Amino acid sequence: MAAAIETKSLTKTYKLRNGKVNVVDKLDLYVEEGEIFGFLGPNGAGKTTTIKMLLGIIYPTSGEAKVLGKEAGDINTHRIISYLPEKPYYYEYMTGMEILKFYGSLFGINDPAKFQSLLERVNLAGDAGKPISAYSKGMQQRIGLAQSLLNDPRLLFLDEPTGGLDPIAHIEIRDLILQFREEGKTVFISSHALSDVERICDRVAIINKGVIARQGKLDELLRGGRIEVIADQVPADFPAKLKDLKVTSSYNNARLILDIDEEEDVNGVLDSLRSAKAHIVSVIPRRKKLEDLFLETVKNVSEKRTTTMSGAAQ
Amino acid sequence: MKQIWSIAATTLGEAIRRRVLLVILLVGVVFIAIAPGLGVLSARSETTVLRSMLLGIIQMTSAVIAVVLTVYMIPNEIERRTIYTILSKPVQRWQFLLGKYFGAVLSLAVMMALMTGVLCIAYWIQQGYNAQGLQDLLKAPVMFFVQMCLLAAIGLFFSTFVSPLVNFFLSGGLYLLGSTFSLLFQDMLANPNAPGVAKMIATVVNVIVPNFAYYNIQNPIINPQVVIQDEFQNYVKIMAYGVAYIGALLVAGILIFDRREV
Ligand SMILES: Nc1ncnc2c1ncn2[C@@H]1O[C@H](COP(=O)(O)OP(=O)(O)O)[C@@H](O)[C@H]1O
Ligand SMILES: [Mg+2]
Repeated sequence: MAAAIETKSLTKTYKLRNGKVNVVDKLDLYVEEGEIFGFLGPNGAGKTTTIKMLLGIIYPTSGEAKVLGKEAGDINTHRIISYLPEKPYYYEYMTGMEILKFYGSLFGINDPAKFQSLLERVNLAGDAGKPISAYSKGMQQRIGLAQSLLNDPRLLFLDEPTGGLDPIAHIEIRDLILQFREEGKTVFISSHALSDVERICDRVAIINKGVIARQGKLDELLRGGRIEVIADQVPADFPAKLKDLKVTSSYNNARLILDIDEEEDVNGVLDSLRSAKAHIVSVIPRRKKLEDLFLETVKNVSEKRTTTMSGAAQ
Repeated sequence: MKQIWSIAATTLGEAIRRRVLLVILLVGVVFIAIAPGLGVLSARSETTVLRSMLLGIIQMTSAVIAVVLTVYMIPNEIERRTIYTILSKPVQRWQFLLGKYFGAVLSLAVMMALMTGVLCIAYWIQQGYNAQGLQDLLKAPVMFFVQMCLLAAIGLFFSTFVSPLVNFFLSGGLYLLGSTFSLLFQDMLANPNAPGVAKMIATVVNVIVPNFAYYNIQNPIINPQVVIQDEFQNYVKIMAYGVAYIGALLVAGILIFDRREV
């Protein structure tokens, strides 16, 4: 598979009154074509800054960024990608239809049938004649998605596409994004809405204070938790044998519930249970919650940051 | 090309809906409409004064519109983030800037045409139909239009890197300076007795500050006895001057805007 996005040590430094800050710090991103990629991070992590660099709207301080094989910002690449900015605004006097006509004209597209079908796709056909100023937030976001589909892009950048939407608008947008996957489009979504990401994305990167803390397949990142083992008819002296392992156990009425760290020899534990004539009821790997992974990651980075900063001050 | 035109048309669409601009335009139109009424009260010999007053109203209103229109042009696009969606399409920054400029020129054309139309009607009512008179009268607004295109280029140039408020004073200041003092500096250059330092300053100002005074041709109307030799050639010359200046400003604006973080 080819790389849709690849960055090497991508860095953006802003000068502030009290010195310089690497808002994006040596970022190595890799997104494959056809993937829905979640770019996760708390507010101010550097997500929007990264996307703007990938689009050539702002320029990196150092490092490289390639989008669909070309230097970021390449005007020919812009024909086959699209961008939905965070909290976008449109020319308010325009109607939904005029918005599509305007953005279409920037691609040299003037195809009323296409505009109509896009409006239908985002469920705005009935409001096509209303000015944008009369649109709700959810409708504005949907017209934004419609304009981002004008050129039938291979790669879409969606910056917080569900930010500030009510639950219904939220689900509408999410369903539209899921359709993109079926069409084989690559989608790069920045978000801090974890439930969306968990449902939509194939791979994620977690960014905090400009640094990527984790990157990988969502399945793999969330795996590596703990394994729950439940067994009946367990002899009363059995729990004591486990005291050297990373295990939490509860024993009650000959039923033993174990929560074993995945790194431990789970099979060994199962063997010894069997040889003790216990009856194994279930063995269930427990996925980490994305929320826990996120909090854990963000906390780790913050701690690291603090130590390097105090180190630099000495 | 298509992109530049789309952006220009959109800019015009926005401008004719901007309340501030419409209020300024309305004030101008009202003044033009009522001024002849005041003229009736005054002596016949003051018709030329009235005429230059009407032209002065058009000029002033247009200048305020040109500045207010352009100083917000780029900062507003960035603040409302409308520029991001546009630059993520196959649109180069120079195309965007040119689109904005032509949009400003179109908006000025529409608004100045409206004022000039009202002026013609006012003139007609007062003087009766007089083809030669109308033609003479219309020369001034045409020259003002070139002047405003130049002023708009200044406003847009500064809007690529300064805030609207600062830009308002910069563009407005340059306009006043170029309208009033340029001739003074040119006199100084022509004067063999002027001190060297003064001449140097005069040369610099003369190059940097566009000579807006070239386009203020209402003076010959006030003093019809002053005949400019070869009028047509003079118009071509000052138009070429304006176009060259606008071109230089746009190129400089594009160079700055290309490197600008938005
Ligand atoms: N032009 C700028 N000048 C200085 N700091 C900036 C600029 N743009 C963004 N920042 C800072 O960079 C950080 C990251 O911003 P951003 O990329 O918008 O974060 P996110 O999109 O993840 O919420 C923030 O702390 C923000 O204040
Ligand atoms: Mg952001």
